[in-house]
Amino acid sequence: MVRPGGLSVDSSTNHLRAPSRTVTLGRIQPQAPSFRTVYCNDRDANFPVRFKGNSISTTKYNVLTFLPKGLFEQFRRIANIYFLGISCLSMTPISPVNPITNVAPLSMVLLVSLIKEAFEDWKRFQNDMSINNSTVDVLQDQQWVPIPWRKLQVGDIIKIKKDGFFPADLLFLSSTNPDGICYVETANLDGETNLKIRKGLERTWDYLTPEKASEFKGEIQCEQPNNSLYTFTGNLIVEKQTLPLSPDQLLLRGCSLRNTEYIVGAVIFTGHETKVMMNAMNAPSKRSTLEKKLDKLIITIFCALVIMCLIGSIGCAIVTDRDHDYLGLHKKDWEYRNGMTIAFFTFFTLVTLFSTIIPISLYVSIEMIKFIQSTQFINRDLHMYHAETNTPASARTSNLNEELGQEQRSTGAVREKGFNFDDPRLMRGGWRNEPNPELCKEFFRCLAICHTVLPEGDESPEKIFYQAASPDEAALVTAAKNFGFFFYRRTPTMVYVRESHTEQMGKIQDVSYEILNVLEFNSTRKRQSVVCRFPNGRLVLYCKGADTVIFERLAYGMDDVRKVTGEHLEHFGSSGLRTLCLAYKDLNPEAYDSWNEKFIQAKSALRDREKKLDEVAELIEKDLILIGSTAIEDKLQEGVPTCIETLSRAGIKIWVLTGDKMETAINIAYACNLINNDMKRFMISSETDAIREAEERGNQVEIARVIKEEVKKELKKGLEEAQQYLHTVGEPKLALVIDGKCLMYALDPTLRITLLSLSLNCTSVVCCRVSPLQKAQVTSLVRKGAKKITLSIGDGANDVSMIQAAHVGVGISGMEGMQAVMASDFAIAQFRFLTDLLLVHGRWSYLRICKVVMYFFYKNLTFTLIQFWFTFRTGFSGQRFYDDWFQSLYNVFFTALPVIVLGLFEKDVSASLSKRYPELYREGIRDSFFKWRVVAVWASSAVYQSLVCYLFVTASAFDGKNSSGKIFGLWDVSTMVFTCLVIAVNLRILLMSNSITRWHHITVGGSILAWLVFAFMYCGITTPRDRNENVYFVIYVLMSTFYFYFTLLLVPVVALLADFIYQVVERWYFPYDYQIVQEIHRHEPDSSNADQLEIANELTPEEARSYAISQLPREISKHTGFAFDSPGYESFFASQLGIYAPQKAWDVARRASMRSRPKAPKKN
Amino acid sequence: MSSTAASSTVVGGRSAEPSSCVKKTSKRPKYSKFTQQELPACKPILTPSWVILTFLVAGVVFIPLGVICLFASQGVVEIVDRYDTDCVPASSKDNKVAYIQGEGDKICNRTITVTKTMKHPVYIYYQLENFYQNHRRYVKSRNDAQLRSPSEERDVKTCAPEDNVGGKPIVPCGLVAWSLFNDTYRFSRNSQQLPVNKKGISWKSDRDKKFGKNVFPKNFQEGAPIGGGTLDPKIPLSEQEDLIVWMRTAALPTFRKLYGKIETDLHAGDTISVLLQNNYNTYSFNGEKKLVLSTTSWLGGRNDFLGIAYLTVGSICLFLAVTFAVLYLVKPRQLGDPSYLSWNRSAGG
Repeated sequence: MVRPGGLSVDSSTNHLRAPSRTVTLGRIQPQAPSFRTVYCNDRDANFPVRFKGNSISTTKYNVLTFLPKGLFEQFRRIANIYFLGISCLSMTPISPVNPITNVAPLSMVLLVSLIKEAFEDWKRFQNDMSINNSTVDVLQDQQWVPIPWRKLQVGDIIKIKKDGFFPADLLFLSSTNPDGICYVETANLDGETNLKIRKGLERTWDYLTPEKASEFKGEIQCEQPNNSLYTFTGNLIVEKQTLPLSPDQLLLRGCSLRNTEYIVGAVIFTGHETKVMMNAMNAPSKRSTLEKKLDKLIITIFCALVIMCLIGSIGCAIVTDRDHDYLGLHKKDWEYRNGMTIAFFTFFTLVTLFSTIIPISLYVSIEMIKFIQSTQFINRDLHMYHAETNTPASARTSNLNEELGQEQRSTGAVREKGFNFDDPRLMRGGWRNEPNPELCKEFFRCLAICHTVLPEGDESPEKIFYQAASPDEAALVTAAKNFGFFFYRRTPTMVYVRESHTEQMGKIQDVSYEILNVLEFNSTRKRQSVVCRFPNGRLVLYCKGADTVIFERLAYGMDDVRKVTGEHLEHFGSSGLRTLCLAYKDLNPEAYDSWNEKFIQAKSALRDREKKLDEVAELIEKDLILIGSTAIEDKLQEGVPTCIETLSRAGIKIWVLTGDKMETAINIAYACNLINNDMKRFMISSETDAIREAEERGNQVEIARVIKEEVKKELKKGLEEAQQYLHTVGEPKLALVIDGKCLMYALDPTLRITLLSLSLNCTSVVCCRVSPLQKAQVTSLVRKGAKKITLSIGDGANDVSMIQAAHVGVGISGMEGMQAVMASDFAIAQFRFLTDLLLVHGRWSYLRICKVVMYFFYKNLTFTLIQFWFTFRTGFSGQRFYDDWFQSLYNVFFTALPVIVLGLFEKDVSASLSKRYPELYREGIRDSFFKWRVVAVWASSAVYQSLVCYLFVTASAFDGKNSSGKIFGLWDVSTMVFTCLVIAVNLRILLMSNSITRWHHITVGGSILAWLVFAFMYCGITTPRDRNENVYFVIYVLMSTFYFYFTLLLVPVVALLADFIYQVVERWYFPYDYQIVQEIHRHEPDSSNADQLEIANELTPEEARSYAISQLPREISKHTGFAFDSPGYESFFASQLGIYAPQKAWDVARRASMRSRPKAPKKN
Repeated sequence: MSSTAASSTVVGGRSAEPSSCVKKTSKRPKYSKFTQQELPACKPILTPSWVILTFLVAGVVFIPLGVICLFASQGVVEIVDRYDTDCVPASSKDNKVAYIQGEGDKICNRTITVTKTMKHPVYIYYQLENFYQNHRRYVKSRNDAQLRSPSEERDVKTCAPEDNVGGKPIVPCGLVAWSLFNDTYRFSRNSQQLPVNKKGISWKSDRDKKFGKNVFPKNFQEGAPIGGGTLDPKIPLSEQEDLIVWMRTAALPTFRKLYGKIETDLHAGDTISVLLQNNYNTYSFNGEKKLVLSTTSWLGGRNDFLGIAYLTVGSICLFLAVTFAVLYLVKPRQLGDPSYLSWNRSAGG
């Protein structure tokens, strides 16, 4: 008896909600808006309705809308608005500068942004095209004709082959499978990889061949397109017969066909009207914390700007008087009417003049840097390429790169599933029993029979794949297979096992066992039993379950075995393995029959069926004979414990949020080294006596109250204890384990603070049995409550909310559904790649973006401050110091590229060292490189350098500057200053770089050269109109003097001297960690190259294993959970003989569980 | 119980990998030094030796340069004579503005004693202080197109308020030209006239390109009030070198402008008498006027700033080199000492 629940579609109720069945009177009847009528296989009939085509477009713009829409998007940025405002101001007469000064950089910035947008949209377009152009077989003139998806129309009859994707929402007509069923995988929709069954209407089963299908003339009346994935109502009218349709007959676009040779279906919804497309929505866009802080910095700069302008305008109002008659103020002037107007207009003049203090190209530069970082570095990192699944990492958004460098909490959905998708459990050591061959056989028979696993694929040991409700089950069956009990076929009543008996080598026997009853596993029973009949009529009950429940039900006289097994269990448990006990019992037919009656009764009971079934099961599950125990190791993904260990050394606190039950979760935590026995554990579980009692009483209000009280008590207690530990020396590390039910109450506003402060004191937190919503709640609790930067990693649909709630969401791609990946910001193939993603890319990104931001801040501040100092000497009039073009090109041309190179290539220590010293990551957590202190240092540097550039040049340029005694004018001096500034600012890049590539040299040299070349050209021409040739010939005049060269050497050196001294002192006396690491490894060449990469990428199983063993708890814990484990034959027998054998079998198990799984049509 | 039942186990099962994921195309990224971020790079570490060496080199280079600059500057003889207050007769001391704006010759005699021999050419400068020639309103009040070409003479739009007089465009227009400096100096030594050469006092590029050879002053200083000097309407702008010099506006409110050259040597002890027309009004805004006689070196006029700066910076560098060397010897920090790592410093932190 198998519980038929669990199907994702409840087919029984839906058609009750079908729309009223109007009888259509011919084809001309106008469509009621509430439903659509589709004529199958009749394009002409569908034509008048003009259903949308099947081509899709996910692009944001088209040729016409690109400019207006794109510009609109750009001006949603406050910085661009600001510069637009400044540009407008600069067109008024109060502007000290030519409009070009502000318009040119703004247009440059907009241009670059628009090009980027266009490029991205183009890629989307290409992607759409490739989808639209994939082909599908359509029925035309009695044969299947391949046409591209986009030409598909509503009403077409199409054929989908195995593993093909459905091009549109289809009505399922017929399949090659008997009973008109087919299997679909909905991973793209909801991330669930289990196969779902769809069943065609019996009436349409025959329309399978082209000849037959072309006869099909049905009329489908169904709901209008909507985005509900799990509902569908409609009617199929065939030959005047109205048949109700349900989601069972609907095949959704995005799903793929499995285990079915091909199916035939009729298109109902196409293109953007398909349910999956109507579900498509943009993930909420996230901004990185650094970016938010950047906003604060910009606001601070803006305040500084306002203050500077205020000083200037007040100064101007005071200084300007009519006595300076050369200023011509004797004539009436709207601007210089009185002190107030002077101050007012000067303020705006100065705003325009000092607008450069806000770096206009900052955002676009950062965007470019991040874009390249994510597309070129993260996506193409071979360290993060997983060969087995052929998945490279992918950064799905580029605006969070540096966020990765600052994670403080990683709410890892370290779900069991997430970790072991790869190899179902690794078998280890497992089963201990006396070398009694019969018992041994029983052991494996039990494993091979007592389960609810479904085999899939070829019936050969290598190629079979087990579909199981839990990976544990599949693992145990696989174990049995590896030990010669190969379960290869299941029918509703039979289980077929190919037994190879070891005592008779080579003898293989196919045995079929009739499954009479299945007593399902549930959390109260904690066991599962199967009653089966051997071919020879023997009736056996096989049972597997938790040690406690099995031990309670053993027959008398098993004390020895029990003791031995108990010891093993304890041993396993302490190793973090999950254990199960296996037992069996021979039944006598009469007893069985009478029991079976009760069972059937219970099963058909309408009330309390579950409870009655449990009671009945109790009757038969007794006097069991213990056959042994299994232990299963949670085979996490490769390298997970190491990764977690590394991450926690990096100062990242890891929270496990899992839907698993508490035991499993704790086991995983043990396996991941999140919890060990040295830790003080706080358990907040709903499985306490008090709560259980309350639950038995059944009063909901009462239950809630009791649980809440309990949780409150526990939390308080925990917090007190934690705080005590806080003040003691050598405090143990703390761990909090809480289950979903308690969490529900703990997340209550009154308790939330307590929960938060307790959990922040804990090194690791494990939340089990949590719902997807709770995952998100916990994440945002940490995010908002503790103001920590959070990262969520997960792989399934149930992690989506959590991924979106966190600052950074990481999806594990490659095998599970796409849902998590779709919602994520980064997708990686393996959990362990998180190390690379965070410690290498994240850290570097953070470092780089910080440096870039700081540098931008510095260079624009320096530039503007010079202007500001100059203002003091111009009577605060707002006269510009630089020529218009110098000013407009300063940001976008003379200093643009080196900083981008810095943002791309800067690294403090190499990738391998980053991983070797994960502690370096803490600098990011502490935000060492973007603290206000750092900002202050840069600001003082800017003040100093601007003063040096300004004062040195002006002080020395006063008198005659060559032997002919001629005097410099304003523009000569300013060009001199500008030249010094460009050189100093560009050289500063080299001073701040930890790693100077040839690109640094090229861009720094190139920028300085570009300035000179520009100056030569610009100073050499006179333009006919509208420009005062202020700088005409200036550079030539300057360069004709010795003064020029002497100043050029002096000023940049003096300007950079202070920074140099600062850096020296900092490195010598207050070194950053990375600097020490640099020094430690200063003589080592960059060690990574392509060959080593291969090795680094593959964590060998031995390595992982030995590591895991070394990480096992040192003392025996009382902790025995569920675990399964089994070694290969060899090691088993060898260990029986006391010989150590290498863990080869482990490999066998591993290989067997690998994914080579060609699909064959399933035979039911 | 047939197919549905059997399939219920499918639900909740997990496929290890979608079988569609056939290895058709490897998505393995291509190796390149760029994408793997392994570009060859030099990684400078400011080790003590490098730092000390850098400072030493800087010091060693800068001090000689400083000496050279200072030497050049010291070789220049410069005589500065402030005359704005002294050239106002005692009777008008209380109302200088009225005096300067009043009619009549404002002749003033100054005597300058040469302390050190000045080789020719001796450059004559006038120095103004507190005169905002860099004021925004002032700087923009000119039109270069008009100065360059006679066809643009009506182009006075940037010249307000000195753009038109009586509807006729002023050439050269604008405040800068309008406020042309008009004090004049005549020098004599022992009652013997010292000729002042006023040719070649402006930058050649200004003369040739910015001021037209066929642009003549028009309507200049015809409106009231009169801001400063007048121009001979028969001489083209390109030859009006005083104007050209004046119109290369100064960077700071204290500035010098070249007035002319004396082409003979002045010897130590010579007494130069200056016959000075004190016309230019700086009194209203308390501006100072100075007369400067100066020789030049290859580096220019007398300005010790560069030399002193070079010397100072050079000495600072040497001092730092020594300091760091001493510090390094006295209290060395071993390079790459792991105990400096933050996680080693605060145990467990």
